Amino acid sequence: MTLLLQAPPPEAAPGHETAAGQGGPAEVIMHHVTDQPFFGLPSKHLAFFVLAALLVILIVRLAIRSYRGGTIPKGFGAAVEALVLFIRDEVAEPNIGHGDARRFTPLLCSFFFFILVAALLGLVPLPGYTNGQWSFVGTTSTGNLAVTMGLALVSFAAQQYAGISKYGLVRHFRNLVPPGLPVVLLPIMVPVEILSMFTKPFALMIRLFANMLAGHMVITTLLLLIALMGQVSWVGGALMTPVSIGLAVFIMLLEILVAFIQAYIFTLLTAIFIGMYAHPAH
Amino acid sequence: MDPKVMAYFAAGIGAGLTIIGGAAGIGRLAAAAMEGIARQPNAAGDIRGAMIVAAGLIEGVTFFALIVTILLAIKG
Repeated sequence: MTLLLQAPPPEAAPGHETAAGQGGPAEVIMHHVTDQPFFGLPSKHLAFFVLAALLVILIVRLAIRSYRGGTIPKGFGAAVEALVLFIRDEVAEPNIGHGDARRFTPLLCSFFFFILVAALLGLVPLPGYTNGQWSFVGTTSTGNLAVTMGLALVSFAAQQYAGISKYGLVRHFRNLVPPGLPVVLLPIMVPVEILSMFTKPFALMIRLFANMLAGHMVITTLLLLIALMGQVSWVGGALMTPVSIGLAVFIMLLEILVAFIQAYIFTLLTAIFIGMYAHPAH
Repeated sequence: MDPKVMAYFAAGIGAGLTIIGGAAGIGRLAAAAMEGIARQPNAAGDIRGAMIVAAGLIEGVTFFALIVTILLAIKG
């Protein structure tokens, strides 16, 4: 089941839409956004996840090298430094603050750069050739629930570490309830607070996963319209191609914006939650 | 009625309701942001940043509902 990028000759279209229910549009869309084996590796999302991590390490190495022993980086390092300073001064300091921001800034930078690179990597249309047909390899690894669950678990662990390392295990949980609360409210507050401790990373996970998944499904659907119209007659396919590709390019531009915004929101919310557990007085 | 038919029907109605809630919320947010920028144009940068963050959060909630709808349509 592959997706052709140019206007298809009509004999290639039946490859994946022979009859309704047999490789129909829903199956093609799900096939393109879910995980599959990839060149012998068990999982495509895993391969791209590792590739995104390696790219982040490469970016950071290149940025460090451009310092050349001084304190003012040139070129690429300046761009990376701008982003890192943005995270330290706009995300970590206002939300964590009180001297703890430096400790958590590396973690927040890791989240931001990883989510950004993984999302942008998913937008690169890499052509591939398998089984005699061209196809569209390349996928957003954060569009997989397991990957975002991993990120959310690391965020959860960071929040708990922030509280427990400052206050110890028991006081961290006692800090959940604000001081000076009437005792009658305790049976309501404690379960709510403990539940909210778990729903926060859950919401982070679902938000990132759904944003990345929805973007890819929309792009796949738009490009699939070419093949669908081409099934009726090849004139329909040829006419549909510029429209679909135009719309798909617009959605990809929107996806770039969404990638930045989602990376920023994940990092910002993690910083806010860490601040809430590290300094619960407010 | 066939449960499969009802699942697709429910998915369609669910998607419509989801978009009503999401678009209404983000529309009100955008209106308030426009008004704030109109009153104080030199606060435009801060207002824009806060607007983007709030829009991202509201969309996150909308996507919760959207995932449920998609599950209904795919598995139904």
